[in-house]
Amino acid sequence: MMGLNTSQRWGFALLFGLIALAGAEALFWQGDIALQQLDAAFEGPSLAEPFGRDHFGRSNFARLASALRTSLLMAICSVALSSVLGVALGMAAGWKRGAVDRTLSFVVNVLLALPGLILVLLFGALIPGSFAMLYLAISLVLWVDYFRLIRARTISLIRSPEVEASRLYGFGVWYIFKRHLWPNFRKDVYTLSCFGAGNAVLALASIGFVYVGLKPPHAELGLMMVELFPYYSDAPWVLLQPLCAVICLVLSFHMIAGTVDE
Amino acid sequence: MQIKNILAVVGFALLAWLLLDYQAVDQQQTLTIGGPFEFTSQDLSKDGFMYTRMQVAEALVDVRPDGSLIPKLASDWLVSDNGLEWRFSLRSGVSFHDGRPLNADAVVYSLQKAMAKPGVVQQLPLERLYADAEQVVVELSRPYKPLLSILAHYSLAILSPSSYDEQGQVVALSGTGPYQVALLAPPHKLNVRRFPEYWGEAASIEQVHYLTGHRAESRALQAQSGQADLIYTLDPASLDLLERADNVWVHSQSIPRTVLLKLNNAHPYLNNKQTRQALSLALDREGLSEHVVRVPDSAAYQLFPPALGHWHLSELAEKQRNLALAGELLKQQGWQLGSDGVLEREGERFRLNLVTYADRPELTVLATAIQAQLAEIGVEVEVVVDNSSAIPARHHDGTLELALIARNYGTLSDPLALLVDDHLQGGGDWGPMNWSSPSLSELLESLMSSDGEQDRQLTRQAALLLADELPLIPVLFYTQQVAVNQRVQNFQFDPFELNYRVAEMSFAN
Amino acid sequence: MLIKILGRRLAQAVFVAWAVGTLTFFLMNLLPGDFAYRIAAGRYGYDYVNQAAADAVRAELGLDRSVWLQYLDWFRDLLRFNLGDSLVSGNPVSQELAHQLGHSLQLALFASLLSLLIAVPLGLYAGRQVGSALDRASLFISVLLRAQPVFVIGLVLVLIFALQFQLLPVAGFGGSRYLILPALSLALSMAALSSRMIRNATHQVLGSSYYQFARFKGLSEQQAFTHHAQPNIALPVVAFIGIQAVSLIEGIVMIESLFSWPGIGHALAHAIFGRDVPMIQGAALVMGLLFVLINLLVDLCCYWLDPRQREEGLQ
Repeated sequence: MMGLNTSQRWGFALLFGLIALAGAEALFWQGDIALQQLDAAFEGPSLAEPFGRDHFGRSNFARLASALRTSLLMAICSVALSSVLGVALGMAAGWKRGAVDRTLSFVVNVLLALPGLILVLLFGALIPGSFAMLYLAISLVLWVDYFRLIRARTISLIRSPEVEASRLYGFGVWYIFKRHLWPNFRKDVYTLSCFGAGNAVLALASIGFVYVGLKPPHAELGLMMVELFPYYSDAPWVLLQPLCAVICLVLSFHMIAGTVDE
Repeated sequence: MQIKNILAVVGFALLAWLLLDYQAVDQQQTLTIGGPFEFTSQDLSKDGFMYTRMQVAEALVDVRPDGSLIPKLASDWLVSDNGLEWRFSLRSGVSFHDGRPLNADAVVYSLQKAMAKPGVVQQLPLERLYADAEQVVVELSRPYKPLLSILAHYSLAILSPSSYDEQGQVVALSGTGPYQVALLAPPHKLNVRRFPEYWGEAASIEQVHYLTGHRAESRALQAQSGQADLIYTLDPASLDLLERADNVWVHSQSIPRTVLLKLNNAHPYLNNKQTRQALSLALDREGLSEHVVRVPDSAAYQLFPPALGHWHLSELAEKQRNLALAGELLKQQGWQLGSDGVLEREGERFRLNLVTYADRPELTVLATAIQAQLAEIGVEVEVVVDNSSAIPARHHDGTLELALIARNYGTLSDPLALLVDDHLQGGGDWGPMNWSSPSLSELLESLMSSDGEQDRQLTRQAALLLADELPLIPVLFYTQQVAVNQRVQNFQFDPFELNYRVAEMSFAN
Repeated sequence: MLIKILGRRLAQAVFVAWAVGTLTFFLMNLLPGDFAYRIAAGRYGYDYVNQAAADAVRAELGLDRSVWLQYLDWFRDLLRFNLGDSLVSGNPVSQELAHQLGHSLQLALFASLLSLLIAVPLGLYAGRQVGSALDRASLFISVLLRAQPVFVIGLVLVLIFALQFQLLPVAGFGGSRYLILPALSLALSMAALSSRMIRNATHQVLGSSYYQFARFKGLSEQQAFTHHAQPNIALPVVAFIGIQAVSLIEGIVMIESLFSWPGIGHALAHAIFGRDVPMIQGAALVMGLLFVLINLLVDLCCYWLDPRQREEGLQ
């Protein structure tokens, strides 16, 4: 891996470790996330069940792996959606200015003033029990950050001599974006995305605290923490599993973002 | 300006805030109760339970823990021979918290306000209500035996006329109980203090505080740390923890609430007794009781829990789970196991929606377990977590297939009123759906005007019929778990949850 | 300049109030399910919601009227500064908000100030001694705190201070004793982020040419720091804390729930479940205005801190 510092390498290693864990489960154990064995509740780890069983006697490994897959996929989707939306609209506003800028800034101001929690709860209520809807709402809250950053950057970059020259030569929008703008945005977009992915997972846990978005028997890291939280004194090691998974996940994103090695 | 100085100012400001806002509470004279119940207003039809539990408001009739009814604000009553006219005499020397005396006019005024609101009172075949020479007279259009249990309901507690504004809304609640409102901060807090002119025996504890706690974990921690004296509705996960603590003990008692599966009895898959039996046989109730709700012996094979006296049939044998028999019954209905483990019949998969609601957190957990148990006999269930209003709404638009609900059979001390509403008056939003039985209707009709041994016999027959036909599949009985601090003496528990009975408790020295 | 700032923010406030209220109104009306049933469930509880109750609610509130008519009613009331009555409790929305948003604000303010007390000294110290043991340790703790949901921090604090040492109550409100633990949990998670922010700003400023020049021209480290570094560190930090405070007001659902604090987060969730439209609109509107107000305060702080802006105003 070229151009990565130590921290970023460790971050990638951690992330791949988590993905490998989730993949290994799917390949070799193939546990059922819904199969219950009530009399085996909170059974300790064994070879067949390396992470023990939860309060329903379900396989923790299967659930954790499935939750990692779900949460990662959802977090990545919502980050991708919000960053593409934020970068594209931010550039449009910064480049065109005028009416486009005013309209978009208008929308952003309303979104900023509208409490994110109301937005997420409303979206969750539109299609109850849908994870995708909740992540969509979270992306709607997240894209504003990208928009504001990219818009400000574009405004200053577009006046720079290099971009002026490219425009005079008649290069297209895509060329200018690739050649001049993106290299300038890249680092910030990565950083924002890495934080965004971690925050998306944590945000879902906080929504689960008001009993929204629970849809048994699916596993999702944020909701698993809320589901297992009551057993913090009975079986802390079970609660620690999704907790550690989230900490590792967020930590790996932070390390990749490069904030750990500032 | 130096940052140091700013920080010092901020620090001092926070310190001053803490000191100025410090509110001392006399722990020695204050009993603190915690529970999950929220209240939003002073309207008795919505939140009256909070005011009768905290003993601010009282009704004409009182329910004893065994379900029998005794005089409260009414000293006694007379029923005419045809059962249509009830005359209530009032206790003398009773005054409201605002100082006014209790009289027949005040009672009639208060009851009239209650009757303008939705609720159990609407089940009453009321003809006329009036005051007649210090007696309150209720005239009915037909005999209605459970009248007293309706009058004991919290929504019919008696308030002073000064409690209402011009629109008939309660704005300054003033009742007759041993405690009066000291601080009202809905939806989380109600503080009451002793009412010195109470007509009965004065309370021993001076102040009672109620605090809503949304999360069961933090309620358990409040009990454990001694911050709260009584904590209602403990969750199973905290029970072990509290049983190990030496300053608290846990009181467990059956309450008249049953978790049950409500089914659409007209659904093509569910419209016969055999299929319903098969579903019932597939449930591992002992497993749910031991490991999910963690209350041993709460498995339910009939609708009426032990708290409901003679409606509960102790001789109904505990049937075990029997997957083989369940499979056999389903086969008789033409269902065959498909390759993916789901039953099939004429190209249709045995797939149902199960609606439940998050208002009671244990229901989603139970729904998850039931989903897994029904999958073992090849019934595929999709759990839909909605709001409690989805049950009556889907009952009426016909989209309900299966629903997991926690039904309170003790909203009135006599379940008869509820069954009559379910089966004779077209109610039953929370009862059986698309199911009727002429023999049950007949039994209920005769129960309305029976008493003594005959009453007992008819009750038995009705309960047996429901347990056999399974228009609703019982799953578990509820047990209320209360954490009680060691310093609380003479702890009392009301299974109908109309009254916390703190006035009878005291503190150990 | 000052007038310009105030004027712009005032116009924004009016606009935000209308837009946010309107948006929430129409979003609420997109929600599935029969509102009358939902409201009846909110009012009478799960044991008593049935068709009769729903019909009574429908008749009382006139839910059969067209959406536009209901919207116009809301708008007319808004022009008279009336937010309407809650459909569930029947109390005026303004009264409910004063209670619940008031408690949230109290918690948010206390937590923000407390987080400043933690983050500022830590951030400044770490920024002056980049790479030191303390800098590394604070980074580690910051990442650890940021990577877990705040209820875990809350639970650990409760286990230590309420259960082990019996110093503070577990949950509840009314009096400052109840404020400390929830505020501390929030402050810790806020400080985890802002202390790093302050550290980076400090590091950047100390390495800048103008600071080096100030030192070079003979100012002592103390003087140079006070006159040249502080305002430049404070500018981004003030803006950042402002944004953090806004997100805090709504982001404390978990803490409210754990500590039985009567905040706006839980009230909002309930209002959405109960389809309490005026309550949601009112809350969104007031929180939107609060957002504008905090932005105004940030503007004023920057105006006061940044001599360039003031000079622009004088010309």
